[in-house]
Amino acid sequence: MEGNLAIIGYGLSAIGPGVGIGLIFAAYVSGVARQPETRGVLQTIAILGFVLCEQLAIFGIALAFVFS
Amino acid sequence: MGAIDNAAAVLAAESGEGGFWESTYPVIPHPGELIVGIISFAVLYFLYKKYVVPRLETMLAERQRTIEGGIERAEAMQAEAKAALEQYRAQLAEARNEAAQIRDAARAEGQQIIEELRAQAQEESARIVARGEEQIASARQQVVNELRGQIGALAVDLAGRVVGESLADDARRQGTVDRFLDQLDGMSATEGRGDAVAVPGGNR
Amino acid sequence: MTTEVSAAEEFVPPSAPDFWQPLVGEGAFALTRSMVVMVLVTIGLAVVMMAVTRRLSVVPGRGQFRLEGMYGLVRNSIGRDIIGSAHFKPYIPLLFTLFTLILVNNLMGIIPPVQFPTMSRIGFPLALALGVYVVYLVAGVRRRGIVGFLKNLVPSGLPWWVVPVVFVLELVTFLITRPVTLTLRLFGNMFAGHILLLLFALGGEYFLLHGEGLLRVISIPAFLMFFLFSAFEILIAFLQAYVFILLASIYIAEVYADDH
Repeated sequence: MEGNLAIIGYGLSAIGPGVGIGLIFAAYVSGVARQPETRGVLQTIAILGFVLCEQLAIFGIALAFVFS
Repeated sequence: MGAIDNAAAVLAAESGEGGFWESTYPVIPHPGELIVGIISFAVLYFLYKKYVVPRLETMLAERQRTIEGGIERAEAMQAEAKAALEQYRAQLAEARNEAAQIRDAARAEGQQIIEELRAQAQEESARIVARGEEQIASARQQVVNELRGQIGALAVDLAGRVVGESLADDARRQGTVDRFLDQLDGMSATEGRGDAVAVPGGNR
Repeated sequence: MTTEVSAAEEFVPPSAPDFWQPLVGEGAFALTRSMVVMVLVTIGLAVVMMAVTRRLSVVPGRGQFRLEGMYGLVRNSIGRDIIGSAHFKPYIPLLFTLFTLILVNNLMGIIPPVQFPTMSRIGFPLALALGVYVVYLVAGVRRRGIVGFLKNLVPSGLPWWVVPVVFVLELVTFLITRPVTLTLRLFGNMFAGHILLLLFALGGEYFLLHGEGLLRVISIPAFLMFFLFSAFEILIAFLQAYVFILLASIYIAEVYADDH
């Protein structure tokens, strides 16, 4: 078994964003289910939150390559 | 992505050929690519700013205007239709009014005709009654006159017979009787009666 | 995709060097495959856009209708709604350029004759992010002046001893974090997505050509996953283009936000 510790680091760093993105979209879904007319506003906010969350995972992958 | 080391090993095998840019981290930008990226972006941005977006904006503004024009036209048409409806309604009301007026007038006229007819009939009946009365009066007058003559003659005759003297002069006798009778009338009868008696006297 | 898997060799998974594909020359100014794709995409976009917008009609045709749909998304749901209807007009060309350029370049990672996502070379997203960076810095400084701009970084009503810390943090966010995250997000998504595609393609190929017996059958789900993720990449391509201009317009909108 070969590999790199940096990639394990990336795997660890992806846990947080994974949970975060899940929470964000869960909130988005329940929000739209409660008030379907707010869909447009919520969509933008949800994507923004998703992006800011995903940013961490992206940092992870970039740093994984930097330190590999 | 499992084995970067593996790739590095491959790289190491063919290093020298791959050079710095192959083996370096992917997060270090390649200057040539950066420059090409900036230039492409700038060129495209310039084109968009100068041509594409203004054209699209002009078109959108034009469409907005067209739609607004359409709405305005539709509104104008609606207003026109409303005005026509108003007018039609007014005309209808007017016509209805007129009809009512005509009906009223006709009714009034009918009433009037009936009134007139009634008045005429009443007049007629009054006339008939008057004529009847007149006839009765004249008949009565005639009778009275006849009676008066006869009474005069009878009275004179009676008086002559009683008195035993003959009154030859007809005219004087006549005047005396008349005067006597008039005196009687003046004492007992009313004015109208006197007139009624006097007029038929003239008629005869 | 160009990684050579020599016969009966050990499987070599795709990695970062696969994206280094110089066509002409060597070193820092070599003509690479991604440059060619980028230039072709730019020329193609310019030609198509100029051709479609040359004869715009109030009643749109098919091509114009699609262009308008895209333009409406960028102009109304991002530009107008986020920057605000008072200031968004000058930024439409920037946002629309970014959106179309990123979208088409990302789709190039899947469209067969090219199949190379330009944005997986960090130089290109960096170039675009630098464009946004310059625009929002210049807009901020022009609106408030340098002093006002720096003052505006710190929200009012903080205790005096917090101010320097917040100031430094905000300055770092403004000057470094934002362009870096903007770059890295686009780069990371396209890079990782393409590596994933390479992995499925190369793995499937390896199992098919060098597998023994039943192992060859594994290539079928591998290729299946390749197609599945190709479809997924289309979604990612669109989403990343959308997100890039979403963030760009949020950064620009902050210039016009009056509090903080």
